[in-house]
Amino acid sequence: MTRGIWTRETVVVLLLVAYLPLALFWVWFGDIQELQRLALALLVLAIWQLVFLLARAQPVSLSAVITALAIAMLTPEGLGAFRLILGISFGAVMGELVFGGWGRNVVNPATVALSFLGFGFPGFTWPEILLPVAWAAIPAAAIGLMTGVMPAGVLLSAALGATIAVAIGVLPGFVLPAAGVVLVLLVADPVTSATTRLGRWLNGLLFLALVILFANAWHGAAPVQFAVAAALLTSLAAPVLDEVALALWYAQRWRRHGRH
Amino acid sequence: MTEEVGLCPPQGTVPRVSIEAEDGAVVAQGAPLARLRDAPDVCFVAPMASRVARVSLLQGHRLSEIVVFQEPGGDVISHDTSTADTEAGLRRLMQRAGLWPWLRRRPFGGMPDADERPAAVVVMATDTRPFAPDPRIALDGREEAFGRGLRALNLLTDEAPFLCQQPGPALIDSADRQRAHVVTIGARHPQGAAGLRIHALCPAGIDAPVWDIHAEDVAALGTLLETGQLPLTRLVSVGGSALRESRLVRTQAGADLRGLTYRSVLPGAHRLLSGSPLDGQAAHWLQPRDRQVTALPREPSRPTPHWLTAALTRSARSRPVIPSAALDQAFGGALPAAAFTRVLSAGDDETAMKMGVLCLLEEDCALADYVLGDDGHLRELLRGMLERIRTEFAA
Repeated sequence: MTRGIWTRETVVVLLLVAYLPLALFWVWFGDIQELQRLALALLVLAIWQLVFLLARAQPVSLSAVITALAIAMLTPEGLGAFRLILGISFGAVMGELVFGGWGRNVVNPATVALSFLGFGFPGFTWPEILLPVAWAAIPAAAIGLMTGVMPAGVLLSAALGATIAVAIGVLPGFVLPAAGVVLVLLVADPVTSATTRLGRWLNGLLFLALVILFANAWHGAAPVQFAVAAALLTSLAAPVLDEVALALWYAQRWRRHGRH
Repeated sequence: MTEEVGLCPPQGTVPRVSIEAEDGAVVAQGAPLARLRDAPDVCFVAPMASRVARVSLLQGHRLSEIVVFQEPGGDVISHDTSTADTEAGLRRLMQRAGLWPWLRRRPFGGMPDADERPAAVVVMATDTRPFAPDPRIALDGREEAFGRGLRALNLLTDEAPFLCQQPGPALIDSADRQRAHVVTIGARHPQGAAGLRIHALCPAGIDAPVWDIHAEDVAALGTLLETGQLPLTRLVSVGGSALRESRLVRTQAGADLRGLTYRSVLPGAHRLLSGSPLDGQAAHWLQPRDRQVTALPREPSRPTPHWLTAALTRSARSRPVIPSAALDQAFGGALPAAAFTRVLSAGDDETAMKMGVLCLLEEDCALADYVLGDDGHLRELLRGMLERIRTEFAA
């Protein structure tokens, strides 16, 4: 039988294509240490995928490359190999692999790893997102939207909301690069963001609200730090947002038809 | 017309029948070949004057198929239509004339029970599946019969039937428009999928069955009411990439698929499907409700992968479905696709019923299965869930 193409690995490949501009600009403006971090993250993730393949017969997935890219771009600097390996292992195993691999996870493994590193080893400096890299998030989001692998509602609601928030002055401008890159890399993940139409809009707005809250009330934190924290809380809240959207939809259908 | 015709029960059902015509008997067009044991009024009729070649029954008098050969000449059975202006009379006429198997009920699919009263009837005057014949061509010149059939359907339900049609001139005249809710829908699949339309218009429930019927069959009902004779041919499109050309033919239900395709098929191995390329099933005979024959080249069997590749790529559990815009489009935005897919895979019957799973059948998930490629198993999951719900509520 003729078959469509939208398998799990197709979505991963299209996401990788979408992240390509971001990765290229990051490599271009970065140094050799960042590439080393990427290589280390890739190696650790590959080993854990192999372990779960052999132990649990879980098929491997290219999504590890996306996770590695997000961790390498956003992780605190100067952590050293041991801490980094610990954090990546925690994120990959507890965030993704124990749930059955990419597609069945509840939170993004990169978000878990970054939060673990941030909260577990405070005192290391968070990286600064350079402006050209932040601009590259826009073509990344555009490719993701055009191919349909990134949830449109999340990206659009966050972008529209941010425009309004900057205009009325509640969102300081220095937060935008970090928040934009985290939005594209961690929040606009098709698996762990909300899946209903209304849920996706709420998801993007919640992320924005948390970023605004942290930017104004969490003194002494770096932009990447609170953007990652906002991403973690948002992905934990995504199922609730979906439930809210579904409950409204059930109620609407009940009103219209008298039955579900 | 094909020389050989095989009558099968509607897909997914194996009714208990009593046979009316033995092997070798000569029967007229429209004569009953088999009746349901529980409801003797419901007949499976001969689609043409023919000789019964073979009756295959499964254990417990369950109908598998009846094969008949065309016999030249022969009569056409006429039915008495004098009582068809009452609900009971109309039902008896539809059942005796062999029109009942063309109805399909939801939830669970299959032919409705003889005494079932639907909450609504949906007439599908549109078919958006690839290569599907345009119902407007089938209805061309039969507007009057169609209107009469539609008026008759009003007797079966309290609510007026829904008529789903493509944008364009109205199919019924203004006097009939009060007796039917006309719904205009787009031309892209799955907008014309009956399940998704029913999901939007009048959700089916355990106690509120919804029937759907093709517009051409409604026109046939109109002709039956007028003349007492049920037209047993239908417009069928024969297409697919294994054919030199696709064409529209007028043939009977149960027509021999090889007979319909052998003149135009390209050299090489091919598969014949009754139904569209999306939801068709490999079959020998045209299935009772299908209006499409698809011939596809047989795919060469894949070489056995290296054991290491197989170990790396295969696993006992299927891969998860990733929510994407393609999946949302495959359900036409009618229901939250990703949430529904998760509920199906998790086997959560109650939430699925809240989402309206009782309106859906396999063919409504066929596009999603196609889109998802090797990861798509929604049809099996849906059938499993429907069977589970059926046994649970029958108890």
